[in-house]
Amino acid sequence: MSGAAARQLRFALRGGAWVAVYLVFVLAPLFALLIGPLPPSRDFWTEFSVAIGYSGLAMMGLQFGLTARFRFVTAPWGEDVIYHLHRQISLLAVALVVAHPVILFAVRPELVALLNSFTAPWRARFAALSTYSLIALVAMALWRGRWKIRYEAWHALHIALALTAVAAGLAHMVGWGVYLEAPWKRALWIGLTLFWIGLLLYVRIVKPLFLLRRPYRVSEVRRERGDSITLAMAPDGHAGFRFKPGQFGWLTLWGSPFQITGHPFSFSSSAAATDGRVEMTIRNLGDFTSRIARVPPGQRVFLDGPYGAFTANRESADMLVLIAGGVGITPMMSIVRTFADNADKRPVRLLYGSRTYEEITFREELDALTGRLELKVVHVLQNPHDGWTGERGFIDAEIFRRHLPPPYAAHEYFICGPDVMMDAIERALGGLDVPMSRYHSERYSFV
Amino acid sequence: MRRVFADRLMLATAVIVIGMSLLFALYRVAA
Repeated sequence: MSGAAARQLRFALRGGAWVAVYLVFVLAPLFALLIGPLPPSRDFWTEFSVAIGYSGLAMMGLQFGLTARFRFVTAPWGEDVIYHLHRQISLLAVALVVAHPVILFAVRPELVALLNSFTAPWRARFAALSTYSLIALVAMALWRGRWKIRYEAWHALHIALALTAVAAGLAHMVGWGVYLEAPWKRALWIGLTLFWIGLLLYVRIVKPLFLLRRPYRVSEVRRERGDSITLAMAPDGHAGFRFKPGQFGWLTLWGSPFQITGHPFSFSSSAAATDGRVEMTIRNLGDFTSRIARVPPGQRVFLDGPYGAFTANRESADMLVLIAGGVGITPMMSIVRTFADNADKRPVRLLYGSRTYEEITFREELDALTGRLELKVVHVLQNPHDGWTGERGFIDAEIFRRHLPPPYAAHEYFICGPDVMMDAIERALGGLDVPMSRYHSERYSFV
Repeated sequence: MRRVFADRLMLATAVIVIGMSLLFALYRVAA
Protein backbone atom coordinates (compact mmCIF):
# COMPACT_ATOMS: atom_id res chain seq x y z
CA MET A 1 0.00 0.00 0.00
CA SER A 2 1.37 3.43 -0.88
CA GLY A 3 2.06 6.01 1.84
CA ALA A 4 -0.82 8.20 0.68
CA ALA A 5 -3.30 5.29 0.67
CA ALA A 6 -2.14 4.21 4.13
CA ARG A 7 -2.59 7.77 5.42
CA GLN A 8 -6.05 7.95 3.88
CA LEU A 9 -6.98 4.62 5.50
CA ARG A 10 -5.72 5.77 8.91
CA PHE A 11 -7.70 8.96 8.52
CA ALA A 12 -10.89 7.00 7.72
CA LEU A 13 -10.29 4.48 10.54
CA ARG A 14 -9.75 7.26 13.06
CA GLY A 15 -12.98 8.88 11.90
CA GLY A 16 -14.79 5.56 12.18
CA ALA A 17 -13.45 4.95 15.70
CA TRP A 18 -14.73 8.33 16.84
CA VAL A 19 -18.18 7.64 15.38
CA ALA A 20 -18.21 4.31 17.24
CA VAL A 21 -17.39 6.04 20.55
CA TYR A 22 -20.05 8.64 19.84
CA LEU A 23 -22.67 5.97 19.05
CA VAL A 24 -21.85 4.08 22.25
CA PHE A 25 -22.62 7.24 24.24
CA VAL A 26 -25.90 7.76 22.36
CA LEU A 27 -27.15 4.18 22.09
CA ALA A 28 -25.80 2.34 25.15
CA PRO A 29 -28.00 4.30 27.60
CA LEU A 30 -30.99 3.65 25.30
CA PHE A 31 -30.46 -0.10 25.13
CA ALA A 32 -29.68 -0.21 28.86
CA LEU A 33 -33.38 0.58 29.28
CA LEU A 34 -34.14 -2.93 27.96
CA ILE A 35 -32.30 -4.64 30.82
CA GLY A 36 -34.41 -6.08 33.64
CA PRO A 37 -38.20 -5.88 34.09
CA LEU A 38 -39.93 -3.89 31.35
CA PRO A 39 -43.20 -1.98 31.23
CA PRO A 40 -45.95 -3.50 29.01
CA SER A 41 -45.07 -2.80 25.40
CA ARG A 42 -47.14 -0.38 23.35
CA ASP A 43 -47.60 -0.09 19.60
CA PHE A 44 -44.54 0.07 17.30
CA TRP A 45 -44.74 3.81 16.53
CA THR A 46 -45.08 4.80 20.18
CA GLU A 47 -42.03 2.71 21.06
CA PHE A 48 -40.10 4.14 18.10
CA SER A 49 -41.00 7.68 19.08
CA VAL A 50 -39.83 7.02 22.65
CA ALA A 51 -36.52 5.59 21.37
CA ILE A 52 -35.79 8.63 19.20
CA GLY A 53 -36.75 10.91 22.10
CA TYR A 54 -34.12 9.26 24.30
CA SER A 55 -31.55 9.31 21.47
CA GLY A 56 -32.27 12.99 20.81
CA LEU A 57 -31.68 13.91 24.44
CA ALA A 58 -28.44 11.90 24.58
CA MET A 59 -27.22 13.70 21.44
CA MET A 60 -28.10 17.07 22.93
CA GLY A 61 -26.03 16.18 26.00
CA LEU A 62 -23.10 15.09 23.84
CA GLN A 63 -23.05 18.51 22.23
CA PHE A 64 -21.55 19.86 25.45
CA GLY A 65 -18.75 17.32 25.07
CA LEU A 66 -17.92 18.43 21.52
CA THR A 67 -17.35 22.04 22.55
CA ALA A 68 -15.61 21.36 25.86
CA ARG A 69 -12.21 22.09 24.26
CA PHE A 70 -10.75 18.65 25.02
CA ARG A 71 -7.64 18.35 22.91
CA PHE A 72 -7.98 14.59 22.45
CA VAL A 73 -11.45 15.12 20.95
CA THR A 74 -10.61 18.03 18.69
CA ALA A 75 -6.99 17.30 17.74
CA PRO A 76 -7.63 14.70 14.98
CA TRP A 77 -10.10 17.01 13.26
CA GLY A 78 -9.32 20.61 13.98
CA GLU A 79 -11.58 22.87 15.96
CA ASP A 80 -13.38 24.25 12.92
CA VAL A 81 -14.52 20.77 11.84
CA ILE A 82 -15.68 19.95 15.36
CA TYR A 83 -17.79 23.10 15.45
CA HIS A 84 -19.17 22.25 12.02
CA LEU A 85 -20.07 18.78 13.35
CA HIS A 86 -21.60 20.40 16.45
CA ARG A 87 -23.89 22.44 14.19
CA GLN A 88 -24.81 19.51 11.93
CA ILE A 89 -25.54 17.17 14.83
CA SER A 90 -27.76 19.78 16.47
CA LEU A 91 -29.96 19.65 13.37
CA LEU A 92 -30.25 15.88 13.71
CA ALA A 93 -30.92 16.09 17.46
CA VAL A 94 -33.67 18.68 16.88
CA ALA A 95 -35.20 16.54 14.14
CA LEU A 96 -35.34 13.56 16.52
CA VAL A 97 -36.68 15.59 19.44
CA VAL A 98 -39.39 17.20 17.29
CA ALA A 99 -40.29 13.90 15.59
CA HIS A 100 -40.86 12.33 19.02
CA PRO A 101 -44.12 14.24 19.83
CA VAL A 102 -45.16 14.50 16.16
CA ILE A 103 -45.24 10.70 15.85
CA LEU A 104 -47.05 10.39 19.17
CA PHE A 105 -49.68 12.94 18.14
CA ALA A 106 -50.17 11.09 14.84
CA VAL A 107 -50.78 7.68 16.43
CA ARG A 108 -52.53 8.88 19.59
CA PRO A 109 -54.43 12.09 18.68
CA GLU A 110 -55.75 12.45 22.24
CA LEU A 111 -52.21 13.45 23.30
CA VAL A 112 -52.47 16.72 21.32
CA ALA A 113 -54.29 18.13 24.36
CA LEU A 114 -50.91 18.06 26.15
CA LEU A 115 -49.83 21.01 24.00
CA ASN A 116 -52.06 23.24 26.13
CA SER A 117 -49.56 24.17 28.79
CA PHE A 118 -52.28 25.62 31.05
CA THR A 119 -53.92 22.24 31.56
CA ALA A 120 -51.09 19.82 30.82
CA PRO A 121 -49.18 18.07 33.63
CA TRP A 122 -45.67 19.28 34.48
CA ARG A 123 -44.00 16.38 32.69
CA ALA A 124 -45.62 17.58 29.42
CA ARG A 125 -44.82 21.24 30.15
CA PHE A 126 -41.15 20.31 30.52
CA ALA A 127 -41.31 18.53 27.15
CA ALA A 128 -42.75 21.66 25.53
CA LEU A 129 -40.16 23.90 27.21
CA SER A 130 -37.32 21.63 26.07
CA THR A 131 -38.59 21.46 22.47
CA TYR A 132 -39.25 25.21 22.17
CA SER A 133 -35.82 26.03 23.66
CA LEU A 134 -34.16 23.69 21.21
CA ILE A 135 -35.99 25.15 18.22
CA ALA A 136 -35.12 28.70 19.36
CA LEU A 137 -31.50 27.66 19.87
CA VAL A 138 -31.13 26.19 16.40
CA ALA A 139 -32.98 29.04 14.70
CA MET A 140 -30.71 31.60 16.39
CA ALA A 141 -27.58 29.64 15.49
CA LEU A 142 -28.64 29.36 11.83
CA TRP A 143 -29.79 32.94 11.39
CA ARG A 144 -27.65 34.86 13.87
CA GLY A 145 -26.11 36.82 11.01
CA ARG A 146 -29.40 37.58 9.29
CA TRP A 147 -31.03 38.68 12.54
CA LYS A 148 -27.96 40.81 13.35
CA ILE A 149 -27.56 39.38 16.85
CA ARG A 150 -24.28 40.42 18.46
CA TYR A 151 -21.95 37.43 18.90
CA GLU A 152 -21.47 37.96 22.64
CA ALA A 153 -25.23 38.21 23.35
CA TRP A 154 -25.93 35.23 21.12
CA HIS A 155 -23.31 33.12 22.88
CA ALA A 156 -24.78 33.79 26.35
CA LEU A 157 -28.29 33.02 25.09
CA HIS A 158 -27.06 29.91 23.28
CA ILE A 159 -25.68 28.46 26.52
CA ALA A 160 -28.84 29.39 28.49
CA LEU A 161 -31.13 27.79 25.88
CA ALA A 162 -28.96 24.65 25.67
CA LEU A 163 -29.06 24.21 29.44
CA THR A 164 -32.82 24.77 29.49
CA ALA A 165 -33.41 22.29 26.65
CA VAL A 166 -31.36 19.52 28.25
CA ALA A 167 -32.54 20.07 31.84
CA ALA A 168 -36.21 20.31 30.82
CA GLY A 169 -35.80 17.26 28.56
CA LEU A 170 -34.47 15.28 31.48
CA ALA A 171 -37.27 16.49 33.78
CA HIS A 172 -39.81 15.38 31.15
CA MET A 173 -38.15 11.98 30.81
CA VAL A 174 -37.93 11.34 34.55
CA GLY A 175 -41.46 12.73 35.07
CA TRP A 176 -42.96 10.40 32.47
CA GLY A 177 -40.68 7.60 33.56
CA VAL A 178 -42.19 4.65 31.65
CA TYR A 179 -38.72 3.19 31.16
CA LEU A 180 -37.12 4.77 34.21
CA GLU A 181 -38.99 2.87 36.94
CA ALA A 182 -35.84 1.13 38.11
CA PRO A 183 -33.75 3.50 40.28
CA TRP A 184 -30.49 2.52 38.54
CA LYS A 185 -31.92 3.43 35.13
CA ARG A 186 -33.07 6.80 36.50
CA ALA A 187 -29.62 7.28 38.04
CA LEU A 188 -27.93 6.38 34.75
CA TRP A 189 -29.84 8.97 32.73
CA ILE A 190 -29.71 11.69 35.37
CA GLY A 191 -26.01 10.98 35.96
CA LEU A 192 -25.15 11.10 32.25
CA THR A 193 -27.05 14.35 31.75
CA LEU A 194 -25.39 15.92 34.77
CA PHE A 195 -22.04 14.76 33.40
CA TRP A 196 -22.65 16.57 30.10
CA ILE A 197 -23.76 19.71 31.91
CA GLY A 198 -20.68 19.30 34.12
CA LEU A 199 -18.51 19.59 31.00
CA LEU A 200 -19.99 23.00 30.39
CA LEU A 201 -19.22 23.99 33.98
CA TYR A 202 -15.69 22.68 33.47
CA VAL A 203 -15.13 24.98 30.48
CA ARG A 204 -16.86 27.96 32.07
CA ILE A 205 -15.72 27.69 35.70
CA VAL A 206 -12.90 25.19 36.32
CA LYS A 207 -10.80 26.08 33.30
CA PRO A 208 -11.10 29.85 33.89
CA LEU A 209 -9.94 29.27 37.48
CA PHE A 210 -6.72 27.77 36.10
CA LEU A 211 -6.37 30.60 33.59
CA LEU A 212 -6.83 33.19 36.31
CA ARG A 213 -3.64 31.94 37.92
CA ARG A 214 -1.75 32.13 34.63
CA PRO A 215 -2.28 35.62 33.23
CA TYR A 216 -0.34 37.26 30.43
CA ARG A 217 0.73 40.88 29.93
CA VAL A 218 0.63 42.67 26.61
CA SER A 219 4.26 43.61 26.03
CA GLU A 220 3.88 45.31 22.65
CA VAL A 221 1.13 46.52 20.31
CA ARG A 222 2.37 46.73 16.73
CA ARG A 223 0.55 48.10 13.69
CA GLU A 224 0.83 45.93 10.59
CA ARG A 225 -0.13 46.44 6.97
CA GLY A 226 -3.72 45.56 6.04
CA ASP A 227 -5.42 47.25 9.03
CA SER A 228 -4.02 44.61 11.40
CA ILE A 229 -2.48 44.78 14.85
CA THR A 230 0.00 42.40 16.42
CA LEU A 231 -0.30 41.87 20.16
CA ALA A 232 2.84 40.47 21.77
CA MET A 233 2.06 38.84 25.10
CA ALA A 234 4.37 37.47 27.77
CA PRO A 235 3.45 35.12 30.62
CA ASP A 236 3.16 36.93 33.95
CA GLY A 237 4.61 34.87 36.79
CA HIS A 238 4.59 31.48 35.04
CA ALA A 239 6.35 29.69 32.19
CA GLY A 240 3.53 29.89 29.63
CA PHE A 241 2.96 27.06 27.16
CA ARG A 242 4.66 25.79 24.02
CA PHE A 243 2.61 25.55 20.85
CA LYS A 244 3.11 24.09 17.40
CA PRO A 245 3.20 26.51 14.47
CA GLY A 246 -0.31 26.81 13.05
CA GLN A 247 -2.15 26.41 16.37
CA PHE A 248 -4.39 29.01 17.99
CA GLY A 249 -5.56 30.17 21.40
CA TRP A 250 -8.70 31.69 22.91
CA LEU A 251 -7.99 35.26 23.90
CA THR A 252 -9.83 37.17 26.62
CA LEU A 253 -8.74 40.79 26.44
CA TRP A 254 -11.02 42.59 28.80
CA GLY A 255 -12.42 41.31 32.07
CA SER A 256 -11.80 37.91 33.56
CA PRO A 257 -11.53 34.46 31.98
CA PHE A 258 -15.01 33.79 33.40
CA GLN A 259 -16.39 36.05 30.69
CA ILE A 260 -18.51 33.87 28.43
CA THR A 261 -17.01 34.87 25.13
CA GLY A 262 -13.38 34.26 24.27
CA HIS A 263 -12.07 34.87 20.77
CA PRO A 264 -9.97 32.35 18.85
CA PHE A 265 -6.85 33.71 17.10
CA SER A 266 -3.88 31.93 15.52
CA PHE A 267 -0.46 32.52 16.96
CA SER A 268 1.63 34.43 14.44
CA SER A 269 4.96 34.24 16.27
CA SER A 270 7.63 31.57 16.05
CA ALA A 271 6.94 28.41 18.03
CA ALA A 272 10.67 28.16 18.70
CA ALA A 273 10.49 30.88 21.39
CA THR A 274 11.38 29.36 24.75
CA ASP A 275 10.33 32.25 27.01
CA GLY A 276 6.57 31.64 26.64
CA ARG A 277 6.10 34.86 24.67
CA VAL A 278 3.42 34.62 21.98
CA GLU A 279 2.04 36.97 19.35
CA MET A 280 -1.36 37.17 17.72
CA THR A 281 -2.05 39.30 14.68
CA ILE A 282 -5.61 40.48 14.44
CA ARG A 283 -7.30 42.27 11.55
CA ASN A 284 -9.88 44.95 12.18
CA LEU A 285 -13.08 43.32 10.94
CA GLY A 286 -15.33 45.95 12.51
CA ASP A 287 -16.54 43.90 15.49
CA PHE A 288 -14.63 43.11 18.69
CA THR A 289 -11.43 43.34 16.63
CA SER A 290 -11.86 47.10 16.09
CA ARG A 291 -10.98 47.62 19.78
CA ILE A 292 -7.63 45.83 19.58
CA ALA A 293 -5.81 49.02 18.58
CA ARG A 294 -6.80 50.60 21.90
CA VAL A 295 -5.19 47.86 24.04
CA PRO A 296 -2.45 49.51 26.12
CA PRO A 297 0.91 47.74 26.62
CA GLY A 298 0.97 46.21 30.10
CA GLN A 299 -2.69 45.17 30.02
CA ARG A 300 -3.46 41.84 31.66
CA VAL A 301 -5.00 39.28 29.29
CA PHE A 302 -5.87 35.58 29.43
CA LEU A 303 -4.92 32.94 26.90
CA ASP A 304 -6.38 29.45 26.70
CA GLY A 305 -4.35 27.27 24.39
CA PRO A 306 -2.85 25.86 22.37
CA TYR A 307 -5.53 24.27 20.18
CA GLY A 308 -5.93 23.15 16.60
CA ALA A 309 -4.76 20.49 14.18
CA PHE A 310 -3.36 22.96 11.65
CA THR A 311 0.16 21.59 12.11
CA ALA A 312 2.62 19.73 9.90
CA ASN A 313 2.47 15.93 9.86
CA ARG A 314 5.42 14.04 11.17
CA GLU A 315 5.76 12.23 7.85
CA SER A 316 7.79 14.36 5.55
CA ALA A 317 6.21 15.83 2.47
CA ASP A 318 8.51 16.98 -0.30
CA MET A 319 7.18 20.53 0.01
CA LEU A 320 4.93 22.61 2.23
CA VAL A 321 2.37 24.68 0.35
CA LEU A 322 0.84 27.47 2.42
CA ILE A 323 -2.27 29.09 0.97
CA ALA A 324 -3.45 32.20 2.77
CA GLY A 325 -6.22 34.69 2.15
CA GLY A 326 -6.03 38.03 4.01
CA VAL A 327 -5.54 37.60 7.72
CA GLY A 328 -5.34 33.83 7.13
CA ILE A 329 -1.61 34.61 6.82
CA THR A 330 -1.17 34.51 10.62
CA PRO A 331 -0.71 30.74 11.12
CA MET A 332 1.49 30.68 7.99
CA MET A 333 3.71 33.39 9.51
CA SER A 334 4.13 31.21 12.58
CA ILE A 335 5.15 28.31 10.34
CA VAL A 336 7.74 30.28 8.32
CA ARG A 337 9.11 32.13 11.36
CA THR A 338 9.56 28.79 13.14
CA PHE A 339 11.31 27.43 10.04
CA ALA A 340 13.62 30.45 10.11
CA ASP A 341 14.43 30.04 13.82
CA ASN A 342 15.11 26.33 13.37
CA ALA A 343 17.12 26.90 10.16
CA ASP A 344 14.73 24.43 8.50
CA LYS A 345 15.55 24.28 4.81
CA ARG A 346 12.54 22.27 3.61
CA PRO A 347 11.01 23.89 0.52
CA VAL A 348 7.99 26.09 1.20
CA ARG A 349 5.66 27.82 -1.27
CA LEU A 350 3.37 30.54 0.04
CA LEU A 351 0.41 31.50 -2.16
CA TYR A 352 -0.93 34.63 -0.55
CA GLY A 353 -4.10 36.46 -1.61
CA SER A 354 -4.52 40.12 -0.62
CA ARG A 355 -6.70 42.98 -1.79
CA THR A 356 -3.92 45.40 -2.77
CA TYR A 357 -0.13 45.52 -2.70
CA GLU A 358 -0.20 48.04 0.15
CA GLU A 359 -2.41 45.80 2.28
CA ILE A 360 -0.12 42.75 2.20
CA THR A 361 0.39 42.05 5.92
CA PHE A 362 4.02 41.06 6.73
CA ARG A 363 5.13 41.90 3.15
CA GLU A 364 8.59 43.18 4.07
CA GLU A 365 9.31 40.38 6.51
CA LEU A 366 8.26 37.77 3.97
CA ASP A 367 10.61 39.37 1.41
CA ALA A 368 13.43 39.11 3.93
CA LEU A 369 12.60 35.50 4.79
CA THR A 370 12.71 34.39 1.16
CA GLY A 371 16.46 35.05 1.30
CA ARG A 372 16.97 32.93 4.41
CA LEU A 373 14.69 29.98 3.67
CA GLU A 374 13.78 27.75 0.75
CA LEU A 375 10.70 29.95 0.57
CA LYS A 376 8.99 31.25 -2.53
CA VAL A 377 6.12 33.72 -2.07
CA VAL A 378 3.47 34.24 -4.75
CA HIS A 379 1.28 37.27 -4.12
CA VAL A 380 -2.17 37.20 -5.70
CA LEU A 381 -3.84 40.61 -5.72
CA GLN A 382 -7.54 41.23 -6.04
CA ASN A 383 -7.13 44.92 -6.94
CA PRO A 384 -3.61 45.25 -8.35
CA HIS A 385 -2.11 48.66 -9.10
CA ASP A 386 -1.10 49.69 -12.62
CA GLY A 387 2.09 47.97 -13.62
CA TRP A 388 1.61 44.92 -11.36
CA THR A 389 2.97 41.96 -13.26
CA GLY A 390 2.25 39.26 -10.67
CA GLU A 391 -0.82 37.10 -10.21
CA ARG A 392 -4.22 38.75 -9.97
CA GLY A 393 -7.73 37.67 -9.03
CA PHE A 394 -8.19 34.71 -6.71
CA ILE A 395 -6.04 31.68 -5.95
CA ASP A 396 -7.23 28.78 -8.12
CA ALA A 397 -6.08 25.56 -9.77
CA GLU A 398 -4.41 27.53 -12.61
CA ILE A 399 -2.19 29.34 -10.11
CA PHE A 400 -1.29 25.98 -8.54
CA ARG A 401 -0.25 24.66 -11.94
CA ARG A 402 1.87 27.73 -12.67
CA HIS A 403 3.73 27.81 -9.36
CA LEU A 404 3.82 24.29 -7.94
CA PRO A 405 5.80 21.39 -9.34
CA PRO A 406 3.88 18.13 -9.92
CA PRO A 407 3.08 15.61 -8.53
CA TYR A 408 0.68 17.73 -6.48
CA ALA A 409 -0.24 14.89 -4.12
CA ALA A 410 3.36 14.76 -2.85
CA HIS A 411 3.10 18.17 -1.13
CA GLU A 412 1.47 19.00 2.19
CA TYR A 413 -1.03 21.87 2.00
CA PHE A 414 -2.15 24.38 4.62
CA ILE A 415 -5.13 26.56 3.75
CA CYS A 416 -6.50 29.42 5.83
CA GLY A 417 -8.76 32.20 4.67
CA PRO A 418 -12.37 33.25 4.18
CA ASP A 419 -14.94 30.48 3.67
CA VAL A 420 -15.51 31.17 -0.01
CA MET A 421 -11.78 30.94 -0.73
CA MET A 422 -11.43 27.74 1.31
CA ASP A 423 -14.29 26.07 -0.58
CA ALA A 424 -12.79 27.02 -3.95
CA ILE A 425 -9.31 25.80 -3.00
CA GLU A 426 -10.53 22.52 -1.52
CA ARG A 427 -12.39 21.91 -4.80
CA ALA A 428 -9.30 22.81 -6.82
CA LEU A 429 -7.12 20.42 -4.78
CA GLY A 430 -9.70 17.69 -5.28
CA GLY A 431 -9.45 18.35 -9.03
CA LEU A 432 -5.66 17.92 -8.82
CA ASP A 433 -6.13 14.53 -7.08
CA VAL A 434 -4.67 15.73 -3.80
CA PRO A 435 -6.11 13.41 -1.11
CA MET A 436 -7.78 14.87 1.98
CA SER A 437 -5.07 13.53 4.26
CA ARG A 438 -2.60 15.79 2.43
CA TYR A 439 -4.11 19.07 3.41
CA HIS A 440 -5.06 21.00 6.49
CA SER A 441 -7.68 23.66 6.37
CA GLU A 442 -8.74 26.00 9.08
CA ARG A 443 -11.64 28.37 8.84
CA TYR A 444 -11.27 31.45 10.96
CA SER A 445 -15.00 32.07 10.92
CA PHE A 446 -15.83 28.87 12.80
CA VAL A 447 -17.47 30.36 15.88
CA MET B 1 -13.06 18.53 2.47
CA ARG B 2 -12.65 17.35 6.05
CA ARG B 3 -16.03 18.97 6.53
CA VAL B 4 -17.40 16.86 3.69
CA PHE B 5 -15.95 13.82 5.42
CA ALA B 6 -17.49 15.00 8.72
CA ASP B 7 -20.84 15.44 6.91
CA ARG B 8 -20.69 11.84 5.71
CA LEU B 9 -19.92 10.64 9.22
CA MET B 10 -22.87 12.67 10.48
CA LEU B 11 -25.13 11.10 7.88
CA ALA B 12 -23.91 7.63 8.88
CA THR B 13 -24.59 8.51 12.52
CA ALA B 14 -28.13 9.62 11.65
CA VAL B 15 -28.85 6.41 9.77
CA ILE B 16 -27.47 4.25 12.59
CA VAL B 17 -29.30 6.13 15.38
CA ILE B 18 -32.63 5.96 13.53
CA GLY B 19 -32.00 2.34 12.56
CA MET B 20 -31.24 1.35 16.15
CA SER B 21 -34.32 3.20 17.36
CA LEU B 22 -36.39 1.15 14.88
CA LEU B 23 -34.72 -1.98 16.23
CA PHE B 24 -35.55 -0.91 19.78
CA ALA B 25 -39.21 -0.53 18.84
CA LEU B 26 -39.29 -3.84 16.92
CA TYR B 27 -37.79 -5.64 19.90
CA ARG B 28 -40.37 -4.12 22.25
CA VAL B 29 -43.28 -5.03 20.01
CA ALA B 30 -42.00 -8.55 19.36
CA ALA B 31 -41.11 -9.29 23.00
